Amino acid sequence: MEPNNTTQNEPQNQQNSPASASTRQAPTGVKVLCSEDEHFISELYVRALTNAGYTVTVEVDGLRGLNLAQSDQFDIILLDLMIPSITGIEVLRRLRDQTETPHLRAKIIITTNLEQREDIRENIERQADGYLVKAEITPRELVEFLETLPL
Amino acid sequence: MDQLQRFKRQIRNHLLFILVADNAFMIVSAWYAYVHKHFSVPQTMVLSGITGFVLSVGFTILSTSYLVRPLQAIWQAILHISPDTAEQGAPNLQKLPLGKDMVTNLVSHIYQLASVMDAVAATTKAEQSAPSHDFIATNLPLPLLVLDKQDMVIFANQDALKYFEKEADDIVGKSVYSAVDMSFTNEHTFDKWLADAKANKPVAAQTWERVRINLPNHEQSELPLCDLAAYYNQGNPEGLETMLVFFDHTQQYGQDNQAMSFVALAVHELRTPLTLLRGYIEVFEEELHGKVTQELEGYMSKMAVAAQQLSTFTNTILNVSRIENDQFVLKLNKESWPGILKSTVADLQLRASVRGITLELTVASNLPPVGVDRTSIYEVISNLIDNAIKYSNGSDRIIVKSYLTHEGLIETTVQDFGVGIPEAAMPHLFDKFYRNQRSRAQIGGTGLGLYLAKSVVEAHGGAIWVRSKAGEGSTFGFTLLPYDQVADAQKTSNNESADIVRSAHGWIKNHSLYRR
Repeated sequence: MEPNNTTQNEPQNQQNSPASASTRQAPTGVKVLCSEDEHFISELYVRALTNAGYTVTVEVDGLRGLNLAQSDQFDIILLDLMIPSITGIEVLRRLRDQTETPHLRAKIIITTNLEQREDIRENIERQADGYLVKAEITPRELVEFLETLPL
Repeated sequence: MDQLQRFKRQIRNHLLFILVADNAFMIVSAWYAYVHKHFSVPQTMVLSGITGFVLSVGFTILSTSYLVRPLQAIWQAILHISPDTAEQGAPNLQKLPLGKDMVTNLVSHIYQLASVMDAVAATTKAEQSAPSHDFIATNLPLPLLVLDKQDMVIFANQDALKYFEKEADDIVGKSVYSAVDMSFTNEHTFDKWLADAKANKPVAAQTWERVRINLPNHEQSELPLCDLAAYYNQGNPEGLETMLVFFDHTQQYGQDNQAMSFVALAVHELRTPLTLLRGYIEVFEEELHGKVTQELEGYMSKMAVAAQQLSTFTNTILNVSRIENDQFVLKLNKESWPGILKSTVADLQLRASVRGITLELTVASNLPPVGVDRTSIYEVISNLIDNAIKYSNGSDRIIVKSYLTHEGLIETTVQDFGVGIPEAAMPHLFDKFYRNQRSRAQIGGTGLGLYLAKSVVEAHGGAIWVRSKAGEGSTFGFTLLPYDQVADAQKTSNNESADIVRSAHGWIKNHSLYRR
């Protein structure tokens, strides 16, 4: 199944809807943690998000990313699944574990290019607030998707 | 033989006793005659002694042999039939002086009895040397289930118990539908076949390939995959109406999944540079917009379109691989068809415009909601429009139409005015990897797009078609079911979950098998 085009996260739609563009809220000050080990990709995302008014922190390492996320200073977490030290799936599990992370304000958006088996993918989608395939979207479309998130 | 000799002697002794007694009586009577008559004593004694002796001996010998020979014949018959002394031979019944009819009759009875006993002995011997049918079935190294008229499991062999990870009590005496949870690769499921066979055929056989056994407490990837062979025999005298044999092919079918993961890996490797390409092209578009010549901006658009096409293509490969591996699953939701069409056409407008083509969309106002998997159906439309763009050959318009057919189906057509399709190519158009000679030479493509489109449309319960004339362009069309029909079909197959799951030739949960 094509990953990014599910009903809940369909950037193309918002992109072509002038209504959502005009009611768009200025995201100034919204803090984003970008857990991404591919430098060029994070560079693109930082540029697009910063231009749109977000404050972005990039973390390459999975475990450090988890610790940062647990510090609860972010509004949005962009989580890659293939990252060093611990996998994104493990990070997601520990962020959703009530005993380890009792309160998490941030929305977790999976950003990956990995193809999952259907059952694993569904499990990840259930735990996350969004699931995007990076190759399917441009940085601008990522920003447009984040603007639809209820923060 | 001793017994017979003793018997002989006893008879002889008794007869001799009679003889002696008889002689004594004669001697006494002779003596009595001498006393009162005129014979001398020695004369009388010798005469009566000799006469009596000869008579007695002759009588004794005759009677002994007459009495014993019938017995001997019977005895010999018995010896003849007993395996240890069979070499004694059969008795000669022709020479019997006494009771011939009776003895012949008796001996023939003995032989009859013997042949019955032989048969019993032979059976017993066979049973001891060859294992019983039960034994064979129980130890058959293939899972085997036998069902009665009510589809109740009446026999499950050891391998079946092991295979389904159950105790005999969990299977035998239970309905097969509650005992075994199976998923099939198409909709011709076991229960449907059996119901059909019962209604129409006295005997029937059917094999399904790649049936998945859904064992509880197992990861999906660990579930056994097998071929299922079923044999139905109405009113079988033993009550064995249906037999199911499972041929485990987990290893063989599992290897396909590794092939799938190779594709997944390749797609992942393709996607990372693709993400970057699309990202940096976008940066160029944003930063250079209005600052470079119209021509250069056109090039950037073309780059963006090419990168987007590449990303669509990786999904096509992935989906074809899923279809091939029976892992392609659709989730049918209630969707507004005009909405999906409009956003898809808008997405593709850029691709069309870099080739100077305008997409014209006409949607009827009376379309009911459709039951579709949004992602997959998006790929179908974008594939058809992409093809129309590729084969437009300089013409500048593509018409997309959607309307309600007389049968109440939602039909969508994509019409171009380009090169058209040669008649020879038409029958193979939706085959995998099919590309006709000319298009292969002139236009890029994989020959997977239409194959995928057909699989997806058919999995939705619709049909895809093409009308074309070389040189005048082509019209591709496909139908979709209104949501209500999809939902109705689903209700009858009793699915409680909100999602409607279908598959190309992927796994179909045997829903009626789930009915408990």
